[in-house]
Amino acid sequence: MVFCMEKSDLLRHQIINNLMAQRTEKVADAAIIIWEQMATQIILIIGQGGFNSLYERSLFLTQSTFPWLSANSTASPTGQWFADLKKCFEGQSPAQACEANSLLLITFTDILASLIGEQLTTSILRSSWGNSALVGPGKEFKNE
Amino acid sequence: MNRNDNDDTSNASDSGQPGVTSQHKDSLPENYKKYIKRRESTVIASEEAVISREKLATAREEAAHVRENAADLREQTATSREEAAHQRETKAASRENAAHLREGNASSREDAAHLREGDANSREEAANQREGEASSMIYEAETIQAASDDHVTMLQQANAHLVIATIEAQKLAEQVQMAKDQLDHLAHHDALTDLPNRMLLQDRLKQAIELARRQGRQLAVMFMDLDRFKHINDSLGHPVGDQLLQSVAQRLLACVRHSDTISRQGGDEFVLLLSFIEHAEDAALSAQKMLASISQPHHIEGHELHINVSIGISIYPDDGRDAETLIKCADTAMYHAKESGRNNYKFFEQGMNDRAVQRQSIEADLRGALERQEFVLYYQPKINLHSGAIVGVEALIRWRHPERGLILPTQFVSIAEDCGLILPIGRWVLREACLQARIWQQAELPQITVAVNTSALEFRDKDFLANIRATLVETCLEPIHLELELTESLLMQDAESSDSVLHALSDMGIKLAIDDFGTGYSSLSYLRQFPIDTLKIDQSFVNDMTSNADDATIVSAVISMGKSLNKQVIAEGVETSEQSAFLLALHCDEGQGCYFGCAMTAEALTSLLKTGVLLSFTD
Repeated sequence: MVFCMEKSDLLRHQIINNLMAQRTEKVADAAIIIWEQMATQIILIIGQGGFNSLYERSLFLTQSTFPWLSANSTASPTGQWFADLKKCFEGQSPAQACEANSLLLITFTDILASLIGEQLTTSILRSSWGNSALVGPGKEFKNE
Repeated sequence: MNRNDNDDTSNASDSGQPGVTSQHKDSLPENYKKYIKRRESTVIASEEAVISREKLATAREEAAHVRENAADLREQTATSREEAAHQRETKAASRENAAHLREGNASSREDAAHLREGDANSREEAANQREGEASSMIYEAETIQAASDDHVTMLQQANAHLVIATIEAQKLAEQVQMAKDQLDHLAHHDALTDLPNRMLLQDRLKQAIELARRQGRQLAVMFMDLDRFKHINDSLGHPVGDQLLQSVAQRLLACVRHSDTISRQGGDEFVLLLSFIEHAEDAALSAQKMLASISQPHHIEGHELHINVSIGISIYPDDGRDAETLIKCADTAMYHAKESGRNNYKFFEQGMNDRAVQRQSIEADLRGALERQEFVLYYQPKINLHSGAIVGVEALIRWRHPERGLILPTQFVSIAEDCGLILPIGRWVLREACLQARIWQQAELPQITVAVNTSALEFRDKDFLANIRATLVETCLEPIHLELELTESLLMQDAESSDSVLHALSDMGIKLAIDDFGTGYSSLSYLRQFPIDTLKIDQSFVNDMTSNADDATIVSAVISMGKSLNKQVIAEGVETSEQSAFLLALHCDEGQGCYFGCAMTAEALTSLLKTGVLLSFTD
């Protein structure tokens, strides 16, 4: 079983870890769906350019832990970003891909939260992922 | 009324009966009977009539009752009808009123209708206006919607720009921080080996001393200097030398604990701080470990390089209580390790300081010696072994120290090399020697060649050739009367570069000699290639050649090789007649040594040149 839960008290991190833990098969496909869902919501707010910038930065920062996460197409459209990302994930074991995607998502949302605040970021993630983003009720309070 | 009627009837009956009764009494049986019967019938009939009348009365009473009831009813009805009439009247009045009201109302309604018509007109107008307004509003709404879409797009763009700008700012801040970190790292580390530099070592040493002081512990400082590193650097080039330093740094790092600090002081000097030791012997063990590690061959760019290190050790608090003193003591001990044969270690001893102080004193005095004209040249003759004639002289520097007296070059040349004074001193020697040679020429003394020793630092100096040319021009000495003596190791340090300089010198007409031949490393191919005129056999071979067969063989071989390569061969350090005879027997051309004449002043040599007589040849 793929296990990529990372201990974190932050609700947003828990949402991401929880989300990735649900995907045990076809991790690459699942990861891209997660990204596409989130990208749709975020692009509505910060535009394609803003998303690209955030994504590129996140990828760069995550590469220090997972050097195989390469960015072949700089400043490319979202679809191309994700096609590249999918290729990267497909070249790895499911556990590695899952772990890398969790870190990439966490890095991405960390930066976003630093720009627009934790609450709004978490709200966007919930809009993006719906019920999949639900975590245990007790954990909700940790971000309050 | 009925009752009254009945009463009337009874009264009438009663008025007839008294007659009948009286008759009865008179006509009594038949008449009377008939009468009675008639009366009875009449009574009966009366009774019946009464009964009927009673019935009738009753009926009439009942009827009266009924009629009363009816009357009551009629009264009630009448009352009701009256009430109804009243009501109808009231109603009629009301209706009248209502009619009036309705009329009024109608009028009002007419008015209202008029008003409503007016209103309707107004409303129509308003509707028209509102239609117009609605159209305007739709237009406005559409405009606003379009503006809103534009606004959302602009907000997106603004957000995008803000995000991009913020991330770019983050990147810049990160780069600035990285640059700061790198600068900080560069400020505290050696760029070549990435080891802590002198500044960081000072800092750590001060901290370690403070900690050792508080805990009552010892620490050790080890000053290390690679033996003959310059030879490798000069012969194989700086890139190889740099890689060797990196290799040495790695070896040293592997020998120490994480808590220790190994730093590069510069050049080929390293300092190790052992921040905690139980005993001084711990430092000795570390030193042995490093000596063994460094002496292992280093494989760099296809070369197998061998290098050793000399180590000086100082101990806190015995040898010093501050960083500067401890490093200085370790440095002093390191020099003693060098003097003791290199590739070893020495603990600092207080007596070493005296020599270090003396060295320091010499260095300080050297800096002013040129200006004070304290240097002087001595000349040692070179003799043709066959004729005994003086064919040349070697210029040898002496230092007339105002307090220490005459100091030999072995006591100060290495110090002059270390502190960079060798270049001005070398230039002075060259100029003085050329001037003296010119003086001898002008005095019409025998034509001789004056030889000057050239150090590696001078030879590699970029102004070396230019300085020689200028000196020859200035002193008007023909180049053919100048000879430069160079050591094997100097030439082999960078053979290609040496070849270029040597040819330049040779092209100028200057003679070239290899000094101390046989003690260093020479490549025969280079020896053939270099434009060398003379090989000077080192005196160490000459000293014992009459008693040591090996030395004799070497001297013989060098002479034969020199002859074969068409080079002059001169033996140094000839001190006895046996040695002179032996060399002559081996067909050596020339000799130099105290047997023929020690180094002497220019005046003494002038006299010698004038007389042309050597003591050894007068016997």
